[in-house]
Amino acid sequence: MASMIGMRVKRKEDPKLITGNGNFTDDIKLPGMLYAAFLRSTHAHARIKRIDVSQAVELPGVVAVYTGEDLTGKIKSVPTSWYVPGCNLKAKDRSPLAVDKVLYVGEGVAMVVAEDRYTAYDALNAIEVEYEELKAVTGQEAALKDGAPLVHEDVKNNLAFLWKAGDVPDEAFTNAEVVVRERYYEQRVVPNPMETRAAVAQYNSGSGDMTVWCTSQNPHIHRMVYAEVLGIPESKLRIIAPDVGGGFGAKIGVYADEAVVAYAARHLKRPVKWMEDRKEHFMATNHARDEVIEVELAGKRDGTMTALRVRNTANMGAYLSTMGAGVPTICFGLMVTGAYAIPQAAVEVYGVYTNTTPTDAYRGAGKPESAYQIERAVDAFAREIGMDPVEIRRKNFVPKEKFPYDTAMAVTYDSGDYMLTLDKALEIADYEELRREQEALRKQGRYLGIGLSTYVELCGLGPSKVAGAIGLQFGQWENATVRVHPSGKVTVLTGASPHGQGEDTTFAQVVADKFGVPLEDIEVLHGDTQMIPMGWGTYGSRTTPVGGAAVAIAAERVTEKAKKIAAHELEVSTEDLEFSDGIFQVKGVPGHQRTFQEIARSANMAWNLPEGMEPALEAQSFFDPSNFVYPFGAHICVVEVDSNTGQIELKRYIAVDDVGRVINPMIAEGQVHGGLAQGIGQALWEGAVYEENGQLISGTFMDYTMPKADFFPVLETAFTETPSPVNPLGAKGVGETGATASPPAVVNAVLDALRPFGITHLDMPLTPEKVWRAMQKGRKEA
Amino acid sequence: MKIEYEYTFDMPREVVWNVIQDEDALRASLPGCKAFEHGEDDVYHAEMGVSIGPVKGIFTGKVQQINQEEPTYYRLLVRGKGKPGEIDAVADMKLNQAEQGTKLICSADVQVTGVLASVGQRIMNGAAKVVLGQFFKAMDKEMKQRQTQC
Amino acid sequence: MSAKKIKISVKVNGIQHTAEVEARLLLVHYLRDVLDLTGTHVGCDTTQCGACTIMLNGEAVKSCTVLAVQADGGEVMTVEGIGSMEQLHPIQEGFWEKHGLQCGFCTSGVMMATMGLLQENPEPTEQEIREGLKGVICRCTGYQYIVGAIQDAAQRMSEAKRGEEIETLHAGGGK
Repeated sequence: MASMIGMRVKRKEDPKLITGNGNFTDDIKLPGMLYAAFLRSTHAHARIKRIDVSQAVELPGVVAVYTGEDLTGKIKSVPTSWYVPGCNLKAKDRSPLAVDKVLYVGEGVAMVVAEDRYTAYDALNAIEVEYEELKAVTGQEAALKDGAPLVHEDVKNNLAFLWKAGDVPDEAFTNAEVVVRERYYEQRVVPNPMETRAAVAQYNSGSGDMTVWCTSQNPHIHRMVYAEVLGIPESKLRIIAPDVGGGFGAKIGVYADEAVVAYAARHLKRPVKWMEDRKEHFMATNHARDEVIEVELAGKRDGTMTALRVRNTANMGAYLSTMGAGVPTICFGLMVTGAYAIPQAAVEVYGVYTNTTPTDAYRGAGKPESAYQIERAVDAFAREIGMDPVEIRRKNFVPKEKFPYDTAMAVTYDSGDYMLTLDKALEIADYEELRREQEALRKQGRYLGIGLSTYVELCGLGPSKVAGAIGLQFGQWENATVRVHPSGKVTVLTGASPHGQGEDTTFAQVVADKFGVPLEDIEVLHGDTQMIPMGWGTYGSRTTPVGGAAVAIAAERVTEKAKKIAAHELEVSTEDLEFSDGIFQVKGVPGHQRTFQEIARSANMAWNLPEGMEPALEAQSFFDPSNFVYPFGAHICVVEVDSNTGQIELKRYIAVDDVGRVINPMIAEGQVHGGLAQGIGQALWEGAVYEENGQLISGTFMDYTMPKADFFPVLETAFTETPSPVNPLGAKGVGETGATASPPAVVNAVLDALRPFGITHLDMPLTPEKVWRAMQKGRKEA
Repeated sequence: MKIEYEYTFDMPREVVWNVIQDEDALRASLPGCKAFEHGEDDVYHAEMGVSIGPVKGIFTGKVQQINQEEPTYYRLLVRGKGKPGEIDAVADMKLNQAEQGTKLICSADVQVTGVLASVGQRIMNGAAKVVLGQFFKAMDKEMKQRQTQC
Repeated sequence: MSAKKIKISVKVNGIQHTAEVEARLLLVHYLRDVLDLTGTHVGCDTTQCGACTIMLNGEAVKSCTVLAVQADGGEVMTVEGIGSMEQLHPIQEGFWEKHGLQCGFCTSGVMMATMGLLQENPEPTEQEIREGLKGVICRCTGYQYIVGAIQDAAQRMSEAKRGEEIETLHAGGGK
């Protein structure tokens, strides 16, 4: 049998989903179930003077209405989980429902529980809240100024933390031949998985067992935190992530809402369901990015880059969300030098409270921002010295022979060959020809632009001791159990919690490859804390390099045990056996063999096992990697800008990614496509906009542009494979490459197109109006 | 959000002033007005049905006219609350003499919250102009009726 | 709760159902909450995302924008009705074969929108497919493999049709 690794096999998770048999949280219906709905703050900053629920509770069908005061002392506040050290971090716990004050539009103020959805919404309308409005602040730079309204009264200048890393003397800039100084605003975006957040909670008042089905990327993390919040021991709290309709970071976060739903189920002794509507999701589920990034890049006229200094002023929203503080600091800060051997670098990050929805991870989490600033700054540097953007990259890449490479930001890139992906991308694009075409079209008054992005990202979180050192309140290892049943059929349990990424299939491929059994004989299970020993979930492109590695190790342990049993039965030593295609074969003695299935039966029956061996055929792994993994690649974007309208036509998009060993190319390509759509979406269309008084005015799909099918050309993808040495699969993680690489590729392409207009900077999203205005201005100045 | 609106009445300024300050005329002219009662001082309690794109609802609130400089200027304060959110508006109303009568210039600063803000905001400017247009047209009609009655 | 209920009768996936519903009950909630057909999903509240797309009287519609009472006397087909694991619909086969889904949340709606699209245009070009998907949002796939899935489905359907035609031709003999 051919190796299952690298095979384009159809997904195991699809049959239920294409026949309407998926089981998403809102599909769950329990006897006696009630429906919850939240009343959310309509003010960005206000004192709650009075909440009158009397009319709401009177409505027929309304079972209960809870306010923040009702819950005080009953359940605890929800903490952040990333206490980044050494930055004077001032964390504020979130009370389950607002008490006294609201700090952003969308903060929970009351929750209604009713016999059905419609009645719950009716009751929301019957609640009267009297607010005393306070001045709000939404922008991070405004919030830092003296005299700005204070989001939390005891946090001076709204400064949640000030994080510094690295040190570069001023002389590195004052004495440099060339220094470029740039300022970028990475706009606020909304992750918007198609399934909003939802929860169903069921409490057994006899046993005290609480089960919560919820839209989670990491059910064990939810269990760990909610156990504290609800005061229910982990042994009695079961969190189940059933089918989850995408997450993109928005479902990592531990929110207060689900805890309130669970509280109500316990209080009312009836199951309670809640599902966010989309308007609610826009306000109440984490946003992302919203960072002002200032870059100083120094170097020589010959193109050598010598020093980098970056300042990031990050809008954290009204609270530090679960991983909030880690995103602009660790995830962003450690990656600022990108794929380049820049010897000196320093970063400072201002984390700022504002009266907005909290920000947290979104596909890439910190790495897209980091790639954006360095890829744009490198282009600016090339422009400054009149060098081709390809040449400057070649000149500064960390060379292949230097890996593992210690960067100026003190992380160690595991493996890489940056020239390889760049060369391949240039070849697919036919770069030289594109430049000639650009030249020819310019003469006709048409504006073609070619943009590059040669990124590297930090993925596969990660070594747990590093997690501890950087203040993350989680472990970052992963668990796998490989259980072989008497029939030889296999159940795989993983602590990762995929929700669309396809690991039911890729993990099965890993196991099928080890055991030589058909893919249909393997089931991969995840997402239930009662079934899975422990785990840390799916995010940060960690599922395959960490979770998949654990599966491979556990499977290897099973093979070793099976081999011993086979050797015992065949009365040879294990060295005399070879194992392939599911058959333990005595070397050189045809017919003297045992199948994997026969051994599975022997192991489980235990009638005749080697002396001292325990029965059954099952192994576990708790895999904690020695390092992160660092996927990289080269993306090229080709655009044409309509000089009359500012409209940008995406003509081509080429993505060459190196994500280490690829297990299922079809699934990996799908991941790249999805990431690209989100990254290009951020570059061109998406943006969450707050009005000055803190009202979110892009709060529906009518106002927030979600990329659609006809926005894109055919995306051209390819992989090179440079295995990672830090896990047995050699895999690096593919989920975030597209979102990380594409924003600078697109913006660099548009700026390249607009060069004749003297335009060197535009902030995302590059809406036609913005581009048109810049061209008008450029024309006037010319 | 700033809203600017102009309307020219073919009536002398004093006539416009009198009608625009008149409770009955206001009640009759306010689009979707369900109630308009005189409260203490110069405050009116109003109830109005408002429809801005997909956002519909009944708003209750206070309308107050202050700083009157007859017949050239007054300031209008509107504070309303409804299920779709809250409206807080301050409008400067100037009555200028024009060639063909009186030009009324309204420049308002409007703050909204709730669904009105998240869903209605983009179309609010347009919607406000429609509402103001309806209002002034109704006022115009009111003035003409009074004129003929005199 | 106390609102007046209206009696409706709707044929869903070939089965006639009658129920008493509130006038304001959305068709999608009738399907999901009353009939327990949870394959149809709700992804937004402003008729943009298309996760709730179904066939109503032979046309693809968004069931979050139709009241259950409007479907009275009508015929509805949902994802549960288009095929089964024993006999997948060519659209289902296409989506599975070509990796046209990831999380699967939007998928039912996208497949039903595809049904409408291919009904109107059985041999669409790539561009026509992309334009035909205007009514749906997928956040996972970047649409590329959805487009591929629909091309695959269109081919399967036209091949099946051609097969039927040939069969009819043979059966019809001298006609």
